[in-house]
Amino acid sequence: MAIFAPLSIGRSALLAHERAIATTGQNIANAETPGYRRQTTDFASQDRSQGFGVRVLGVEQAVDRFLEAQLLRQSSLSSGADTRRDTLDRVQELFPVDGPSVGGALDAFWGAAQRLADRPEDLAVRGDLLARAEELAARIRQASGGLARHQREVDDRLAGEVEEINSHLGAIAALNQEIVAAEAGGERANELRDQRDLALLELSEHLEIRATERANGAVDVQIESSGVSLVIGGDVQEMTVDVGSTNGIDGEPLSQLGVRLLSGAVIDVPGNPGGRVGSLLTLRDSDLVDLSADLDDFALAMRDAVNAVQTDAAATDLDGLVGTALFAGTGASDFTVTLSDPRGIAAAIGTNPGDNSNALALLDVREAPQGALNSATLSDYYSSLQSSAGSSARLAADQATVEAAAQSALQGRRDATSAVSLEEEFTDLIRFQRGFQAAAQLISVSDGLLEDLMGLVRG
Amino acid sequence: MIGRVTQSSMVRDFLGHVQSLQRRTAEAQEHVQTQRKILTPSDDPGGAARATRLRSENTDLNALHETVGFGLSVLGAQDGAIGEAQALLTRARELASQEANGLTSPALRAAAATEVEEIERAMITLANTTVGGRHIFGGLATGDAPFTSLDDPGFDATDPYGGPTDAFYVRTGEDGARTRLTTPGDQVFGDAILALENLRQTLIAGNDPAVELTGLEAAADSLGLERASVGARSRALADRGQDILGSIQTAREEIGEIEDVDLVEAILDLQRLQSALEATLVSGQTLQQSIVDYVRL
Repeated sequence: MAIFAPLSIGRSALLAHERAIATTGQNIANAETPGYRRQTTDFASQDRSQGFGVRVLGVEQAVDRFLEAQLLRQSSLSSGADTRRDTLDRVQELFPVDGPSVGGALDAFWGAAQRLADRPEDLAVRGDLLARAEELAARIRQASGGLARHQREVDDRLAGEVEEINSHLGAIAALNQEIVAAEAGGERANELRDQRDLALLELSEHLEIRATERANGAVDVQIESSGVSLVIGGDVQEMTVDVGSTNGIDGEPLSQLGVRLLSGAVIDVPGNPGGRVGSLLTLRDSDLVDLSADLDDFALAMRDAVNAVQTDAAATDLDGLVGTALFAGTGASDFTVTLSDPRGIAAAIGTNPGDNSNALALLDVREAPQGALNSATLSDYYSSLQSSAGSSARLAADQATVEAAAQSALQGRRDATSAVSLEEEFTDLIRFQRGFQAAAQLISVSDGLLEDLMGLVRG
Repeated sequence: MIGRVTQSSMVRDFLGHVQSLQRRTAEAQEHVQTQRKILTPSDDPGGAARATRLRSENTDLNALHETVGFGLSVLGAQDGAIGEAQALLTRARELASQEANGLTSPALRAAAATEVEEIERAMITLANTTVGGRHIFGGLATGDAPFTSLDDPGFDATDPYGGPTDAFYVRTGEDGARTRLTTPGDQVFGDAILALENLRQTLIAGNDPAVELTGLEAAADSLGLERASVGARSRALADRGQDILGSIQTAREEIGEIEDVDLVEAILDLQRLQSALEATLVSGQTLQQSIVDYVRL
């Protein structure tokens, strides 16, 4: 071996450790950087042909691709579940357990009907029944309006979601281009990849996506459920929000999500794309619509059952006239009381004004199974409606807890692989510092040897 | 099992635990402060639905109790009026008996006729008794008196009643069960008014009123029967009232069991959560420790 060999070995060791210290420094600097994955410097020894010593094979990222894919999916599930929980938690407040509510107003209405049966000719009692009917109608409209407001709010949020999605898509496509350019030379663009993975993770909160990496390092993004492409290499197929053909509970059109293809054509997003957007769509098109339909059924059954008694051919009001309808409306949203004169309540059957037979018939509605409500009574139907809103909120909350725990566990496993441990880095720092010092020592010793040799020559 | 422990996982776990404990503590505090287990339907969907049903039942029971009270006041007034009518009829029978022995003078018969007329007027007044402006022997209707007055030119003792011919019922059971409050007035007072009118006319004509005693007996029987019926319905209604009060109490207790928090348990729960939160926060201090504190580079 040549006398200069230790010198070149020392040099390679010095450079390798310097690189390792730089990597450790990068890890320490980015310990708290979101999406950053710890990097390790890979060393390899060199043989005689390579002149001995050590060389740096590369700087690798600690990453588990399988785990990353799971995390993307879990992030969609988790953010979707959170959105569902938050919305349904507020929706159930439209059906409160205590305090002013449709149920309370319904009970008060029957209470007033009971007093009407006791005192059919009492104008104050009749006036009270009308006031209770007004209160009930107002509560039903309020609950319906609340559902409509929630649906509109959910719909409005979709536009915001699409804006954020497009911003992420743009970032991913731009990073794709940078990564392809940077890696053309063979070196991995770790930091750019970290940024792109972070953007993918953020995107997955909005939609459930599938990310496929190409050989050149670019990533294609598709909507998992439908396979519609959103990012193709450096190109973006943006999502769009247009006025849709379906109307909301409030009668105004809801928005329609689409994807603008590279050709310029816009296609509707098929099915449920998952993530937060998927949850919002389910809430808008299913949960809120179902509750609203149930409330409509309740209002219509109330209208029909009460009006049937009130407008019975034999039933008469205080002036001996046949009664007219008490309630009107085509659903819960426009449910109103049409009768304004308390004398118009048909409490009697026949011409005797003191008769209460029809008021008793009205009270029978209270306990009567309603065909339109699957044979439930009005009260039971309302309490099952309330219970169903509560159950949905409860289920959504439980689901959100489960998904959050699953995400936390996955995040923990990801951190175990990819996150920076400062203790580890400090230990490495000491290790590489010692290595660097030893390499320097090697050079110093080699230098000493050379000096000795030169001394012999100088003799 | 997590192999590598990193700062970010430690901090995230710590924050996750603290947030979870804080959320549960806030919930526990709300339960203690409101003393209620069910604040929103999602706290216990089944319980909330049951409580809503019970609350609805409770509102209905209270309305029924009000009706029972009203019914008892009507039946009580009827009982009083019929009692007075019975006393009047007894006096009429005494007068008829006195005048029937043939020993009295025409002047005394005329005086007796005048007294019977007063009795008849009083009887019609009783038959037209009102409670809160409602005729208790006239289908509880307001407006014109059901029985025509003696002074009315159209007075006809065989048909003095012009009120409703249907009885007045009230709803007294959650199942829609009803209780009859009134009997059409002619069935109660018809016989009495006719018997008194006949007695009066007999006395005015100076005839022996002995023949009228049978009619008076029959009228007394009618009143007695109705009074017994009123009494029976009153007792049944009072019992119903007691049942309703019992049901109201039961419903309240059940609502309480479903909705009210067990305060001791809730406070203990809160204390436990607070201790856990404190312990977690203390454990968080170890996060500040690092190898940097121990190594001199």
